[in-house]
Amino acid sequence: MNEVAIRLAGVGKSFGTQHVLTNIDLVVRAGEVTCLLGPSGSGKSTLLRCMAFLEEHTTGIIEVAGAPLGFALTPDGGRRRLPDGDIVKVRQNIGMVFQQFNLWPHMTALGNVAEGLRMVRRLGRKDAEARALLQLDKVGLSHRAGHYPSELSGGQQQRVAIARALAMDPKIMLFDEPTSSLDPELTGEVLNVMRDLAADGMTMVVVTHEIGFAATVAQNIVFLDHGKIALEGPAQTIFRRPWHPRLGQFLETYLDRGAAVLVRDT
Amino acid sequence: MEWIDVQLLAVAALVTAGISIVSILTGLGIGLLVCMASLSRNPPLRWAARLYISFFRGSPLLVQLLLIYYLLPAIGINVPSLVAAIAGLSLSTGAYQAENLRGGFTSVATGMIEAARMVGLSWRQILLRIRLPIALRLTLPAVMNEAVMILKASSLVSVVGIEELTRSAQNLATSNFEPIAMYSMAGAFYLLLNRLLSGGGWMAGRLLGRAGA
Amino acid sequence: MRFDVGLMLSWIPAALSGLWVTVGVWLTGGIGALLLGLAVAIIRRFGGRILDRGLWACVAVIRDTPFLIQLFLLYYGGPFVGLDLDPYAAGLLGIILYGGAYICEIIGAGFDAVPRGHQEAALCIGLTRLQMVRRILLPEMTLLVLPPVVNMQIILLKETAVLSIVTVPELTMTLTSLGSEHFAFAEALSLLALGYWGLVELASLLGRLAERGFSRYRLAT
Repeated sequence: MNEVAIRLAGVGKSFGTQHVLTNIDLVVRAGEVTCLLGPSGSGKSTLLRCMAFLEEHTTGIIEVAGAPLGFALTPDGGRRRLPDGDIVKVRQNIGMVFQQFNLWPHMTALGNVAEGLRMVRRLGRKDAEARALLQLDKVGLSHRAGHYPSELSGGQQQRVAIARALAMDPKIMLFDEPTSSLDPELTGEVLNVMRDLAADGMTMVVVTHEIGFAATVAQNIVFLDHGKIALEGPAQTIFRRPWHPRLGQFLETYLDRGAAVLVRDT
Repeated sequence: MEWIDVQLLAVAALVTAGISIVSILTGLGIGLLVCMASLSRNPPLRWAARLYISFFRGSPLLVQLLLIYYLLPAIGINVPSLVAAIAGLSLSTGAYQAENLRGGFTSVATGMIEAARMVGLSWRQILLRIRLPIALRLTLPAVMNEAVMILKASSLVSVVGIEELTRSAQNLATSNFEPIAMYSMAGAFYLLLNRLLSGGGWMAGRLLGRAGA
Repeated sequence: MRFDVGLMLSWIPAALSGLWVTVGVWLTGGIGALLLGLAVAIIRRFGGRILDRGLWACVAVIRDTPFLIQLFLLYYGGPFVGLDLDPYAAGLLGIILYGGAYICEIIGAGFDAVPRGHQEAALCIGLTRLQMVRRILLPEMTLLVLPPVVNMQIILLKETAVLSIVTVPELTMTLTSLGSEHFAFAEALSLLALGYWGLVELASLLGRLAERGFSRYRLAT
């Protein structure tokens, strides 16, 4: 069994009186691809953002690479908030790719990828740019290094965003609906990069609607419904018919729309 | 209307242009500082900034100019009237630019900032390398608009005796009894300066534009 | 620098009369500007190309030249073309023309800002053009232009101070004359600055209330 990359124990998230996540117990193993699936409002994006501490989990403990993220357990069973410095340190293990790409518009592709290397790793400009160029090459965009985000297609922008996250050498990559903002023809190039990344052994947690990707690339599927984990298991068993009723309901909407059948019937 | 009148007004127009440009740039600098203060985590600093903005946007420029012109000597600061005039204009526009910039700042998409946090940039780095550049590009139209306002507002420094475009037109009008001609000519010069200023702004926009937000 | 509060208090009656003039000119001028701006915006939109272009030029000149110059033209230049105006009238006319030009632009932009889709939906349901304009276009437009119009009114309030230069007995002129009479500039100017600051804050508050009153109908367009 692979070691634990992320561990969530009793994690919950509420916005005021609105409970978005309830009692999440989850283990993400190193080297594996975990896909978070579920209908809108199921809390999957919130769960992912909690793993990045972009949302603060209201209850429970999250551990990344063995270290507590944001909150640590106190001897009496309560929680205490960790100082910002600790949070930043733990976050260094995580890279994140957003649905909206979030490339900085006033920097070139190269500039975007090199920014972290220059400002955080304190590399010199030439050094940082050289490394950044290598990363861009890995996602197939070294020829567009000097272009600004506004001059790139959506798929290209997202690939640059992936390169930017990878440049920081994370142990874990989080993807928040990476292809949802893309035109259908462009999703392929991004999914391919993600497939290669998985093949190289990167630990990935992906929130996505690309069922085909989830079925073929993920080792672990987590199906969320109304803020709770409704179903969890390996892709082979989860997608085998007969489906769990709630999962079935969810998948029907994709099949109704003529999506190619993902499932290997056995 | 004589040719000499046009020439005199042209020279005065240059004075107006000079005063305006200095005030615009100084005002932008003040605006940037005040904007940073208004967004800071330090309560007294925030309050001071908000007070400044509220006062200078809340009172007429004419009154502000008179205040600076008459009160500075009273508290012992003796400056040439030109400096007082420019100070008045700069302080006034500074407040408006601070608000413009603040608007730009708050419009910077949170996603940009989240991505920066995930890459590991410190809050200070995020402010200087991400938020500020994007905010400046977003606010360029409003900043240019304010610059045009200053050009027109510079006409008020005529009341503290500066020999700029409006004052010169006044002098000429009272001596040659041709107010319509003189003021119209002055107006024409203001229009010209306006076009030049807007053109400059357009070019600045093009230069930054490639990296448009 | 001494601060003679007693002196300041003795000025209050005179200051109030100046304030009265300021508010009077502001309200009259503000409403006049609103009506003029609306009229010009409508003429420009529906009155044919020549009128549109001609009025566009007028609006551009008024917006791109200093208010003071326009005031001087009206007050000092007026008599030469048969327009003999006293300071009041010149000041009021100046405010109406200046404000009117800006409001014309604001309303023009408001027309364009009402989403086409809303207008098309109305026509598709079967409303006539006139019904659509009355029931959809104008109401939506009013919502959109309210904040900039409120803003402009506040700008006009501040511009009334410039009227003092052509001897309109409003607040600025009143207090600065008192100030020079008694050689008490600190008192006069402080009172003046505070007076306007208070007025502007009050006006802004009223503006915000008005906007909030309508905010129910705003939507994320």
